[in-house]
Amino acid sequence: MEEKRGHTIFIDGPINPGFIAEAIAKHSHKKNIGAHSIFLGQVRSDKIGNEEVAAIEYTTYREMAEEKFHDIREDAFKKFSIICMHIYHSLGIVKAGEISLFVFTSSIHRKDAIDTCEAIVERIKKEVPVWGKEIFTNENSQWKTNT
Amino acid sequence: MEIDVLTFGQITDIIKETKLKISGAENTDELIKLLENNYPALQSNKYSIAVNKKIIQENTQLQHQDTVAILPPFSGG
Repeated sequence: MEEKRGHTIFIDGPINPGFIAEAIAKHSHKKNIGAHSIFLGQVRSDKIGNEEVAAIEYTTYREMAEEKFHDIREDAFKKFSIICMHIYHSLGIVKAGEISLFVFTSSIHRKDAIDTCEAIVERIKKEVPVWGKEIFTNENSQWKTNT
Repeated sequence: MEIDVLTFGQITDIIKETKLKISGAENTDELIKLLENNYPALQSNKYSIAVNKKIIQENTQLQHQDTVAILPPFSGG
């Protein structure tokens, strides 16, 4: 595993904005970095009929997801010129307005960081076995579908 | 020969178990047929199949103690 170049962690519950700030601060000593790109996925309060999404409950097939995250990371280092990358994804309940996905890429010049970040987010959505169950304000629920 | 079957998301709602042991299936087509017979609601759901964590596209021979996961469409992020 490429732990020294970045890591992937499932986080129980929402990703705290303070955690994101700390993650940025931890890169200040890496003075070859000229650009960071960050993607944050936030739980949206969709309206369906009279009900609103109050939260999403995330579950995963952890062993497969960890392999897939590993592949995504390896491919990103092969394909793009990046210095480091980090992925965090929530499991369990994340309320509307809270952060459930944090992708963070760093490179010498901006284009590499931006392109890698976008490619990683697209692959996570398509390839990583995570499921979100939308929980409504009346406590009914339905399985989320990615668009 | 015994296969471990894992279910997730909507599929768990149908099968009511997250893990079950199935014997009598030599390959993934046989396994799916068996599951769809036991749980007819599966037929109207979209899912993919992973054998030992790898998604398969065509009928795949199974070995004793293989793990087959029934994966509804992913919705992470």
